[in-house]
Amino acid sequence: MSPRETEIPGHAGGAHASSIVGEVDDGWVTSRPPKLVEAFLRVFLFPRILVRHRDLIVSSVKRELASRFQGTLLGFLWPLVHPLFIFAVYYFIFTKLLSFKMPNLQPGQESAMGVYMFIGVLVWAAFGESLGRGCNVIVENGNLIKKLAFPSEVLPLNIVMANIVTMLFGVAMYLVATIFTSVWEAPGIELLWIPVLLVLQILFTYGLAMFLATLQVFLRDTAQVVAIVVTVWMFLTPLFWVPEAIPQIGGYLPFIEGNPMNHLVFAWREVLMGVDGVLAEVLNYTNDVAIPYQNAKVDEALAAGLVPEVGKLDPLVYAHSFLGSIKAFAAWSVGTFIAGYTFFIVAQRRFADEV
Amino acid sequence: MSREFSLEVEGLGKSYRMYQSPFRRILEAGTGGRVKGHHEFWALKDINFKMRPGTSLGLCGANGAGKSTLLKVLAGTTSPSEGRYRMNGRVASLLELGAGFHMDFTGRANIFMNGIMMGFSRREMAAKVDEIIEFAELGDYIDEPVRTYSSGMGLRLGFSVAVAVDPDILIIDEVFAVGDMYFQKKCVDRIYDFKRKGKTILFCSHSLYDVRQMCDDAIWLKNGNVAAIGNSVYTTNEYTSFQRDHIHEDGENPLSGEYPDISPEMLAGRKLPKVLDARMYRVGTDDEAYEVNSGDSIELRIWWQNPDPAETPINLGMGLLRQDMTTCGGHGTHLDGVKLEGTSGCTVLRMPNLRLLAGQFLVPILLMDGEGVHKYQEFLLPENLVVRNETKEVGLFRFEHEWADRSDLPVPTSKSEEAPA
Repeated sequence: MSPRETEIPGHAGGAHASSIVGEVDDGWVTSRPPKLVEAFLRVFLFPRILVRHRDLIVSSVKRELASRFQGTLLGFLWPLVHPLFIFAVYYFIFTKLLSFKMPNLQPGQESAMGVYMFIGVLVWAAFGESLGRGCNVIVENGNLIKKLAFPSEVLPLNIVMANIVTMLFGVAMYLVATIFTSVWEAPGIELLWIPVLLVLQILFTYGLAMFLATLQVFLRDTAQVVAIVVTVWMFLTPLFWVPEAIPQIGGYLPFIEGNPMNHLVFAWREVLMGVDGVLAEVLNYTNDVAIPYQNAKVDEALAAGLVPEVGKLDPLVYAHSFLGSIKAFAAWSVGTFIAGYTFFIVAQRRFADEV
Repeated sequence: MSREFSLEVEGLGKSYRMYQSPFRRILEAGTGGRVKGHHEFWALKDINFKMRPGTSLGLCGANGAGKSTLLKVLAGTTSPSEGRYRMNGRVASLLELGAGFHMDFTGRANIFMNGIMMGFSRREMAAKVDEIIEFAELGDYIDEPVRTYSSGMGLRLGFSVAVAVDPDILIIDEVFAVGDMYFQKKCVDRIYDFKRKGKTILFCSHSLYDVRQMCDDAIWLKNGNVAAIGNSVYTTNEYTSFQRDHIHEDGENPLSGEYPDISPEMLAGRKLPKVLDARMYRVGTDDEAYEVNSGDSIELRIWWQNPDPAETPINLGMGLLRQDMTTCGGHGTHLDGVKLEGTSGCTVLRMPNLRLLAGQFLVPILLMDGEGVHKYQEFLLPENLVVRNETKEVGLFRFEHEWADRSDLPVPTSKSEEAPA
């Protein structure tokens, strides 16, 4: 506790310890901006902010969610309706209509592509929405920041948490569907990974949102750029395509491996649908490719180097590894969070002057 | 451990960076500050003062003089650019009523959210919510969405939440007189209450009445600098006399009234009429009198000049306002058909047998145009008029009255009984 706060017995209320305080020295608030090191060290005080302002965070997230659905007929059913329809559409279009199947599927796994896309879109929606809204959150709440002394770092957190909660509605929907319908096999013990994924996803999204929200304060072009970047990034992330299934992926591996969202989305799929096993089994497309050639021209084709030898399975050009993805994403999360938070803290004292 | 002062401010200054374009900002950031893309605007410069617990300090000054900036810095919403300050005790700031209200939620829900924003826990708010609802007196509306409220109701709710805070230091930015007259009185009473409880109060107001009445000391800010600091009567007098001389420089008048100011365009290129001085005397004597008894006879002498009476005919008005801002009376030359002629003069208003009961009254003098609609100037009498009375009568006035015994008068029969059914 800083001296300023120790003057506040029990912190009974009335005043948040102002978070823009430059230096606290025997209770003095001075004009000196925080040094980079000090801002960095503040990262470690973040859990304390969470605890002290838990009521503020909880009620703001509730309010953020409630304000989306307040006054609607279905109210809090809406966050369920949304993923339900997305799921229905993906399932119908990709599984039934386009027969956009992964090859060599086991019986009962025909809907693999629909489920695969659904999970990707669900996770991406929480992330993309958090950046889009989070980017503007400081500017939008300018009046609040000017008029009320409260820790503005909770503002981007509220947006991120509200989107995470919405995503969890979708996850819950999916789990219920796997139990009561034959859409996919219900996941088991892997579900214990969910808290880990959530924490990492929140850190990553929150860090990025803080960075963008700060940038937006000083440069209003940020939101425009973010809108474009998020869209492009969405298509570059394997939401609608399967990197394992692309033979020529080899040259683009750095883009796949270097995309943190690729790891996050994959980890979610692994937890919710055990995709690793599915991909390993079904994507050894060499068998399928070999079949047409088996009759007459197989030797010819083999000689020409067109088809690998029958029975000899090509290893996948690219394959995810679950723990590897979690590790990679964890590194991204912690790094992004520390960088974003530090950047935010350094700039925070000027927010009220700029918005 | 408690310090002697509840608030200490040393050399405080606040500057804003003004960038001409986003490009300039990028340029400056990109070159690490070697190319300077902004110019600085100092909204506050070198502010020094100390406050002891239980005292109150008012800030006065024109729009843009830095009053709100100073309060914002001390409230902690923005950081100082130079100097430092220190507070001892819990701080609550009330910079804007209803900041953070959400229109779609009920008044009750907003009470919780606003309180939590201000640093309370949910449990603390649950303990306070009944008191807040009672103070706001919104009736059944408390469970309706705030968007259905009138603006006055929203302000009432905002004020009620804000004063439920029990701080050691209260920072208020001209937001304490909201709503209808009844509620305004409640707000002002609440602030007095705080003062009685020994809280430190810092507030700014355009109303010099408020500053005089509620503050022990005051600071007059001019262009971000301290122009005068000291006892609130001294400071407000300094400010008023400055305004008296510079009425055309800043179009702002310290006293809000029913008479709109004459707009600067109307004044352009004219020599202005002006009240030079005004004092209160005992009738027919040269004894200045600001402490009088009910029933005394007093007169108000107003010295004025009017360089161009043909262009700017004038009227004089005066009012008697009690501490709580109740207008107790007012007279005007235009109301009584008195003409003020010539380029200067001294006009005397005699008030024999003052019927006011005990109280402290502010006496503003209005210098108005020929129609008595717009005002050129408002001049505050140098001291408040303090009226004493020995009797136990209640109210504002003692009317001319007598009691009589008339037992011969029968009880009147009411009209409904007289009329045939």
